[in-house]
Amino acid sequence: MTDVANTGAPAAPKTSKSLLTQDARTIKRNRAETRFKMYGIAAISIGMLMLVILLTTIIGRGTGAFQQTFITLSVPLTEAKIDKTGTRDIEQIKKVSTFGYAPLLSAAFAQKVTELGIETDLKPKDMANLLSKDAPATLRDYVLENLDQIGQTVEFEFLAQSRVDGYLKDRVDRGSIANDKNISAEQLDLVDGLLVAGTLEKRFNISFITGADASDARPEAAGMGVSMIGSLSMMLVVLVLALPIGVAASIYLEEFAPKNWITDVIEVNISNLAAVPSIVFGILGLAVFINYMHLPNSAPLVGGLVLTLMTLPTIIISTRASLKAVPPSIRDAALGVGASKMQSVFHHVLPLAAPGILTGTIIGLAQALGETAPLLLIGMVGFIASNPPETIAEGLLSPNSAMPAQIYEWAKRSDPAFYERAWGGIIILLVFLISMNAIAVMLRRRFERRW
Amino acid sequence: MKDSNISENDVITQPVKIAARNVQVYYGDNHAIKDVNVEIDDKTVTAFIGPSGCGKSTFLRCINRMNDTIDICRVTGDIEIDGEDIYDRKVDPVQLRAKVGMVFQKPNPFPKSIYDNVAYGPRIHGLARNKAELDDIVERALKRGAIWNEVKDRLNEPGTGLSGGQQQRLCIARAVATEPEVLLMDEPCSALDPIATAQVEELIDELRQNYSVVIVTHSMQQAARVSQKTAFFHLGHLVEFGDTDKIFTAPEDPRTESYITGRIG
Repeated sequence: MTDVANTGAPAAPKTSKSLLTQDARTIKRNRAETRFKMYGIAAISIGMLMLVILLTTIIGRGTGAFQQTFITLSVPLTEAKIDKTGTRDIEQIKKVSTFGYAPLLSAAFAQKVTELGIETDLKPKDMANLLSKDAPATLRDYVLENLDQIGQTVEFEFLAQSRVDGYLKDRVDRGSIANDKNISAEQLDLVDGLLVAGTLEKRFNISFITGADASDARPEAAGMGVSMIGSLSMMLVVLVLALPIGVAASIYLEEFAPKNWITDVIEVNISNLAAVPSIVFGILGLAVFINYMHLPNSAPLVGGLVLTLMTLPTIIISTRASLKAVPPSIRDAALGVGASKMQSVFHHVLPLAAPGILTGTIIGLAQALGETAPLLLIGMVGFIASNPPETIAEGLLSPNSAMPAQIYEWAKRSDPAFYERAWGGIIILLVFLISMNAIAVMLRRRFERRW
Repeated sequence: MKDSNISENDVITQPVKIAARNVQVYYGDNHAIKDVNVEIDDKTVTAFIGPSGCGKSTFLRCINRMNDTIDICRVTGDIEIDGEDIYDRKVDPVQLRAKVGMVFQKPNPFPKSIYDNVAYGPRIHGLARNKAELDDIVERALKRGAIWNEVKDRLNEPGTGLSGGQQQRLCIARAVATEPEVLLMDEPCSALDPIATAQVEELIDELRQNYSVVIVTHSMQQAARVSQKTAFFHLGHLVEFGDTDKIFTAPEDPRTESYITGRIG
């Protein structure tokens, strides 16, 4: 280097600066970049925080609904009370209403308390009051199905009433029951005694997942099962209708339709439909499917049709996007070897677009699964205590609710026990949504691995 | 594959395979091809050269009606293959494309196995009655595509996993598998390295035994190496068409001379 300098090479311009120091402009730019990164990190942190709050709240409040307090009792099925004629004639036995079974429960409860040696001033009827109002019906159903058991003593696990359940879940305490006519301090003393004796315990309650809704007086007996069937029936309708219609419409629009103002108008309208509030589809369903076509009220079939209308734009948009993402060179290649337009679409383009189509469909379904507003308008919300339908047709046509509608129904009831169940229902709904998304991811992976 | 072998390109008169008369192509309002008349011989390699945007690819895509897929594209005039007008109302472009194979600029194998890539054409055209016949067709096509030795042990592997040059030869094998009579190649070597280019050029020379090959190229050296006839396009006009050695040694039109000497283009 010194040689070069000595030979009189022109000196470096004075403006040249060392690379080891940053000039003012670079410092400014670097600061701007750092600031932007900080904004991004802050935004993500806020998002994550919200998610954590959401999940902890839901799990904290909802898991209680999956546990229920049960009381174990041995009930003597006294023939004199149930079958006065002694003929085991089912028609005669059916004449005994649930009120007729209540004394059996009171007697059994009193005997249990005596056996356990718990001292209480309560009358047998008040003791039996700790049981759910569902208990006599449970007993009656059992007797009607097992006539040979009359005269025997059978051990049952009855649901405890919601105040007892609330007491075990710290929702109810001696202070809060001061003006509560459903439960008294003496009854809570008895609960404490039974708890120590192990007759009364809190454990997992499968009927919250499988059971039907219950009336206001028996929150402990309410379950999501029937509305789950309602939701699944609707999803079946949506899948069967929206997937083929949506995919066929997108393929036609994307691959075959001439590009002119008519297709432009259709395209704009489909995009707009995706943004239409779902309640609009609800009132459309009410007007068209129920008032005009006279399909049954509150039926999952109608709900499914409404949700199909709502899901179609989502499916069409995502399908068109994934068809567009298939490189045109594949179409050229197929046409170049003499494939017809349809062969090139069905043999080459569609398989490549399948993962995207599936993902779009499942996301559309998940969106439909969580939709409540349109269901309010077609009467799919309300007290549906019917037993699970037996056939698919019955499931589609008989009145039913849906999971989000059931949650809404519970949340608006006054008893805090229902409030807990609403949170529990949200957990079930979220499990459904997460598993649907997991299926979407899995299918995507699987298909993409194939090519 | 030297530049100096122009004179070695034998020029034997062959019957005319493709005849174009007064062909005009419009993209919307843009007049892309202006009044092209050309006669392309059978069992000959014909090269289309010219600067970018001169219409050589557009004209090539007219020969198997690939331009039909572009909505705004309009073609007038006659293009005849073996004396039949391919733009006749009765002609189904699908049948035409089985007769006129095409290889594209970018290798575009289907994302399927090597075997399925080649077998696809014969399958949809019903060229094989059973699996054994199909196997035969695939083997023959891959041999003709000069790629058989490289892939014979891995026919079930994806065609997209091959190198660029192999992919392009696979695409050529795919094009010849349907037994076309004409093979159109749209800058088949532009995405390839010199070695792969040399292999493909060698292959083109062999394909001349059976097909009428039309190749669009940006490289004048390539045109000189592989073709017997050359057409020079400029601004949508077919400026000059003739024997390759004549075009490169004694062009008649001053525009051709400017292009091949590097003054325009």
